[in-house]
Amino acid sequence: MTGWLLRRSADALFTTLLAAVALIALVHLLPGDPLTAIIGDRPIDAAQRAALEATWGTNRPPLEAIGATLAQLARGDLGISLATQRPVATLIAERIGPTLLLGALTLLVTFTIGLSLGLWSALHPTTVRARLIGSLTLIGYALPSFVIGMLLVWLLAVQSGWLPPAGFADPLLEVDAGFSAVLLDRLQHLALPLLTMVLATVAVPMRQQRAAALATVDQPWVRAARARGVSGARLALHHVWRPALTPIVTLVGLWLPMLVAGAVFVEALFGWPGLGSLIASSTSSRDLPVVIGSGLLLVVLVQIGSLVADLLYRLVNPAQRGA
Amino acid sequence: MRHRTALHLLLLVSALGRAPLAGQVPGTVVFAIPADPTLPLPALSDQTFNTDLADQLFLRLAILGPTFRTAGDNAMTPMLARRWQRVDPLTLVFELDPRARWQDGTPVTARDVVFTWQLMMDPMVGKGRIMMEPVASVEGLGTGKVRVRFKRPFAEQLYLFSFNMQPLPAHLLEGIAPAAVARSDFATGPIGNGPYRYVRRVPGQFVELRADPTFFLGAPTLARVVLRIAPDATARTNLLLAGETDVMGDVPAPDVPKIRDVPSLALVNISHNLVLWVGMNQRAAGRDTPHPILTDRRVREALRLALDRRTMATSVFGPGTGAPDAAQSQLWSWVTGGNLMGTPQNVARARALLAGAGWRDADGDGIVERNGTPLRLQLIYPSSSGPRHSLAVQAQAMWRTAGVEVELNRIERLDFTERMAAGRFDLTIDGGQQDVTPSSLTQRWSCASAADSSSLNTLRWCDPTFDRLLATAETAADPVAAYRAALGRMASEVPAIVLAAPLNQVAVHRRYANVQIWPAKSWLSLWQWRVRPDVALPRDR
Repeated sequence: MTGWLLRRSADALFTTLLAAVALIALVHLLPGDPLTAIIGDRPIDAAQRAALEATWGTNRPPLEAIGATLAQLARGDLGISLATQRPVATLIAERIGPTLLLGALTLLVTFTIGLSLGLWSALHPTTVRARLIGSLTLIGYALPSFVIGMLLVWLLAVQSGWLPPAGFADPLLEVDAGFSAVLLDRLQHLALPLLTMVLATVAVPMRQQRAAALATVDQPWVRAARARGVSGARLALHHVWRPALTPIVTLVGLWLPMLVAGAVFVEALFGWPGLGSLIASSTSSRDLPVVIGSGLLLVVLVQIGSLVADLLYRLVNPAQRGA
Repeated sequence: MRHRTALHLLLLVSALGRAPLAGQVPGTVVFAIPADPTLPLPALSDQTFNTDLADQLFLRLAILGPTFRTAGDNAMTPMLARRWQRVDPLTLVFELDPRARWQDGTPVTARDVVFTWQLMMDPMVGKGRIMMEPVASVEGLGTGKVRVRFKRPFAEQLYLFSFNMQPLPAHLLEGIAPAAVARSDFATGPIGNGPYRYVRRVPGQFVELRADPTFFLGAPTLARVVLRIAPDATARTNLLLAGETDVMGDVPAPDVPKIRDVPSLALVNISHNLVLWVGMNQRAAGRDTPHPILTDRRVREALRLALDRRTMATSVFGPGTGAPDAAQSQLWSWVTGGNLMGTPQNVARARALLAGAGWRDADGDGIVERNGTPLRLQLIYPSSSGPRHSLAVQAQAMWRTAGVEVELNRIERLDFTERMAAGRFDLTIDGGQQDVTPSSLTQRWSCASAADSSSLNTLRWCDPTFDRLLATAETAADPVAAYRAALGRMASEVPAIVLAAPLNQVAVHRRYANVQIWPAKSWLSLWQWRVRPDVALPRDR
């Protein structure tokens, strides 16, 4: 197992490096003037342009620029944002918390609900309720997340006033507010973006789990268990769910990077101060260091996700352990 | 008339709350801004979300008067400078208000003004390098006076320096290299001289300001200002509708009915500096040769006459939107007299002009041709702009009725910027927020800017007559007639077809009194707003 883990980690590292080089090269080949991120629409004179280009290195040939960026990254330096002139690492650090919070809770809630509904549907495939669940989750999946979000905001925030329509926290909450007040405030602000994300994505694990469990319910060991009188939760969890878990593990691994980048629309609609909105704004303003820094984070997360998925796959699938 | 309207609107807003103020509540105002104001230092950033915050922290030497007139030595209202004196046509002396203090207690002095000017002119910082180009020197005369010398005489010297100069504290920043100021501790916790103190910024969420009770022009009557960050316009509207914010500028036209339905909100129109136009490239797309079609004035005028611009503008931006013949926003009403409706649609005249230029529909397919080549043009605009897309679709249909086929090319913003800079387009929907002064027309429409590949004049428009008229206006004692003549020349030469000069629709909670909202710099008077105690909200107490 240790040998496999080392080999797999080395593979992940190599792939990460390749992806990083490709990312940096692609970003440097993007059209547009990188100084736009600094100067916006205002005119500048030739001397100022020359000084800015020399300082920020935006006039270097692509190969030289790619090399310089790689060297800088090798020193562990993500660089300085052209638009805000602040360290990219600081910008990412400021934004990653809300993104991970929303993403982790989305993962947790979506998979908890999706796997439960999927398993239940597989065990009761012909019931009206199972068909209804399948249809409703598919509708949620078919609707763009921002449409779901806008509907929820209109109903639950603007019309009823039950929940705040946007933001991560109430700026008017006193700085010395108690723990319970802060917790309640955070939960209230989290509710709508989380609900939107869950409704938009729950169909995926639900249908995956349903398909995997349907393929399992007729297996000999399940029939044998039934013949032995096993039923209910024990049959569902021990004999059907566990063997049907393998494709779900792969799905979890693939979802990890989506936790960071997949919520761009939801973050925008709900004014959620996460990494998704940072990536969107830096891409549109051609703030190359931020695009590269946040892109690298995604590359690393994809690799970690893939590694975790492989690891879990081996844990839930004993046949793989010796491989 | 428009000039009177703008003023009238300001007063209307002021009259929102005229009830007697029995007692006083501290008051809070919350408004949403589209981006995180990470650089609220006026010499370093000119993005609106930064400058709106900076205007609460750092005073200008003077602000525009109620007419928004920028020419002359009586046009401005004192702020940090309590008076100024004209020494000669090239020299102004400003006298700083001796009561002015930085929020750490240090007096504001001439040294601060000189330091800030040097910072603005630094190529590595240089927000104001082009803007302040006419300034030859800035020097302190003791601690309380500043002498400003200009390179040439022009009517807007006072406006140029006093409105654009927001001093930074030299005693806190002199030891920092200009390029490092943006990354300094000062940038994340600025100490100003204005009505509000910077309290805290929660990244990506909000910035909180508190009134400075020692502010030398009088303690602010609104105790707390909170700027919530909401990049999405829909999110900003939702925050307002849900009562989480109190004010919203630039209300999108589709959201106006929803806001009208909220009894606690007033919706008012303020002069806006936004203007959108169809620019017509004077070069062949991507080359330095003259454009084979658009260098003909008759074709440009025909393209303008084919459009029902009044209908287009109103459909996208709502009633009150202008569509003048020259590139002028509502803000320049002191020059234009409010004449913001240009030539009406006349398709027959457009067809006649095209025919005069040799473009006729010989094969009866509805598209005019010349020497067998149909009149086809490509229009580019950024995909991120909904209003531009709506205007483009309407324009395409109207041009077709005049026999012109226009292909719409909705492209990503960076690609748009790249193609504009490289001149790879025939037509473009361009524009944006205009400078307060009409003299800024030189940046986009002068021959000098046409010769500068890095300028905003991406159309490469050059008309020496227009340049001459503009130069005359800049030096005239009363420049109104000359500016009108310059704008008239632009209207007749048709370098661009103005599609919309909209009003700024601002939503304000009705509990505020003494509300003044300024065109272009909306929140300059925020510190003088107050909350009527009888309708105060819990967050006001």
